[in-house]
Amino acid sequence: METIRNYLETMFANMPNTPEVKRAKDELLQMMEDKYNELIAEGVNENAAVGTVISEFGNLDELAESLGLEKEVDEVNNRQENVNRRFVSMDEVKAYLSHMTKSAIFVSVGVMLCIISVIFPIIGDISSVVSEGLSVGLMFLSIAIAVGLFVFNGIISGEWTYLRREPCQIDMATAEYVKDRLRNFRPISAILLSVGVLLCAFCWVPVAAIQNEYMTVSLFLMVGFGVMLIIYSSMISKGMARILGLNDTTTISGTYSDGANVEYTSKTAEVIMSVYWPTITCIYLCVSFLTFAWYITWIIWPIAAVLHKIFGTAWAKEV
Amino acid sequence: MSQISSDVIRGYNDTIILYILMEAPSYGYEISKKIKGISDEKYVIKETTLYSAFTRMEKNGYIESFVAEPDSSGNGKKRTYYRITDRGKEYYKTKCEEWEITKEVIQKFIRGE
Repeated sequence: METIRNYLETMFANMPNTPEVKRAKDELLQMMEDKYNELIAEGVNENAAVGTVISEFGNLDELAESLGLEKEVDEVNNRQENVNRRFVSMDEVKAYLSHMTKSAIFVSVGVMLCIISVIFPIIGDISSVVSEGLSVGLMFLSIAIAVGLFVFNGIISGEWTYLRREPCQIDMATAEYVKDRLRNFRPISAILLSVGVLLCAFCWVPVAAIQNEYMTVSLFLMVGFGVMLIIYSSMISKGMARILGLNDTTTISGTYSDGANVEYTSKTAEVIMSVYWPTITCIYLCVSFLTFAWYITWIIWPIAAVLHKIFGTAWAKEV
Repeated sequence: MSQISSDVIRGYNDTIILYILMEAPSYGYEISKKIKGISDEKYVIKETTLYSAFTRMEKNGYIESFVAEPDSSGNGKKRTYYRITDRGKEYYKTKCEEWEITKEVIQKFIRGE
């Protein structure tokens, strides 16, 4: 039933909010609901019932006439024709999502390697077993692997650039599928993110608690793994959000992103907001490493979150 | 098997709906179910077609809508019902006559092979 409601919602997404339209929507939903309930009562399975109801719904053009909305529907149809949108099929979407999972692993492991590469010289410094040459060699090796991962990721991502460059669209079923996946990923993502943030925020604890030269190493390991978890989880979520954001308000089948794609009033605001979190991370790490006041520098995060909310609200374009 | 063409039937959706409302006031889904039943499942009216017909005929004064509170027989839902007006009955009669002529004329051009 939810699917039917969504379908109707997207069909009406571009209609003005007049009482006539509201009434039409209510009445149509009522009819569809009745039909759906009866099909279910007859023992038809849910998917087949939804399919029948949607296939027998009809089309908007017909409604437009009686609602006096020919202009709006025409406009939607015209826009649809003007922008030749590339249709992204369910299979392509599935392939893209599994690519994003791989890509997330490459990038997050790469970043982690960069961060923890510094532990080798530290170990070399304090240990008599590992020679200086070996420790520096290991550092460059891990950086080299990281760079290799970035380059490889860049190459395999190449075939998906059309998702960003060309106007694309997805259909209802694909959107439902991605939404479902996103819903299932949310709890995992929440765990990954919070573990990642906790690792970064409390990376100073072992150093402060245990007086041992090797504890500095644990600090970098914690930051490295923390950042890896954060990047991995956000890249996967972003992949799914990108798919859902393909359709915009000019797509006749409607838009699916749930307000995730905020538009900003100016180009500058857009740029600032897009580099906001990386910048904050950078500031956090720089300040923390320079002052070594880890016990207090975490305060940057809550402040940054509040500022983000304020900037976001102030610069968001009214839709 | 050839299917019914919505272009052909379009001019007679109103007639079909009015026929059903002549018997008793009814609501959206019930009407569409009756159309399907009476036509031996040969004609399934689309929801948008049905609703467009309702608004058009209400504007022309052929039918009236009223909200019926849920009763014991209904599924406990508030529904918009439609009833035929006197003007609607008159209109139905003229459409029936029109159809008789249409049928007669078209039939002359149909070759039954």
